[in-house]
Amino acid sequence: MNKELEHKFISEFQENQNIIHKVCRIYTNNQEAHNDLFQEITIQLWKAYPKFRGDSKLSTWMYRIGLNTAITLYRKSKRTIQTQDFDTVLHKIKSTDYDNTEEEQLKLMYKAIHQLSDIEKALVFLYLEDKNYKEISETIGISEVNARVKMNRIKTRLRTILNP
Amino acid sequence: MDELDILKKDWKKQDANFPKLSYDEIYKIIHKKSSSIVKWIFIICIAEFLFWGFINLLIPESFFTIYEKLHLKAFLKITYIFHYAVVVVFIYLFYKNYSSICVVDSTSLLMKKIIKTRKTVNYYVYYNIIMTIILSIIVNIIMFSDPALLNEVMNPKHVPIDETKFFYIVLTVHIVGLLIMSGLLWLYYKLVYGILLRKLNKNYKELETLNI
Repeated sequence: MNKELEHKFISEFQENQNIIHKVCRIYTNNQEAHNDLFQEITIQLWKAYPKFRGDSKLSTWMYRIGLNTAITLYRKSKRTIQTQDFDTVLHKIKSTDYDNTEEEQLKLMYKAIHQLSDIEKALVFLYLEDKNYKEISETIGISEVNARVKMNRIKTRLRTILNP
Repeated sequence: MDELDILKKDWKKQDANFPKLSYDEIYKIIHKKSSSIVKWIFIICIAEFLFWGFINLLIPESFFTIYEKLHLKAFLKITYIFHYAVVVVFIYLFYKNYSSICVVDSTSLLMKKIIKTRKTVNYYVYYNIIMTIILSIIVNIIMFSDPALLNEVMNPKHVPIDETKFFYIVLTVHIVGLLIMSGLLWLYYKLVYGILLRKLNKNYKELETLNI
């Protein structure tokens, strides 16, 4: 692949790299796994770049490849430390009765999200990115109605995890 | 306000916390090798094509003399021509399905295409197994229907042996051989699917139940 294309890709990617960091934030729970997934998504983006026509927004294109890599293509490398048991961590924090500061709440939120399935995480990610249900349904490949229903179920599930 | 909306507020603020990778760092990453599941599936599928393609070469010459003695040489030739025609069709289908895999498709479509590609190769393996079984059944029927011929083929040195006993020995060897082969195949697929496709299958099932 030619140098010019490579240069264009790296510059564009550099500007938008936060999208990929965010995908990794949802799908991984430690720095090593984060870096590993980030690397695989970047490689996939680069491989797909020559076919990127610009008829969709670069960010939309990155969302798709990012999520598809996280859900389908990515295989955890051997180096990756296995997910720790979130339940015990969660209970420990709960039992010490923290003040319900916003930061604590956010930490618990992320822990709760990490307990969701890969597909549920994708919906949460797109929801957090302020995508409408049409775009969510198109990205994942389910109907808009089903996306709504699933999103409501996820919200209920998160509530149950957070307030057992 | 629900929990997710609290997170949403923070979600946008976190941009500043992420590391900013430099041009050189990104350059290094894109020159690394991918370890994606599609790449692995491709490698495994090619290996399976080659394995079943070359397994014919491993058959000892004596096996073909058996066919000769059974007057099945012409039959064998036709089978070979048929077999290689089928292999070409399978390779074409595999290539077509593989090249349709596109990482920009929706998650559901991407998974469907990967599974379809994998299935093509599965059918290829099934075809090989079924062909092997059919061929051995045909050969066995011809052989066992003529005890003199069976003795001639399996016992060319004419070692004195009880014919009924001999019949059962040949039959047992056949059955044990078949069991060992199926066991190995089962183990292989358990491993391939277990390691490589468990996550994909699980997620695909979840999406399918969503779409019902």
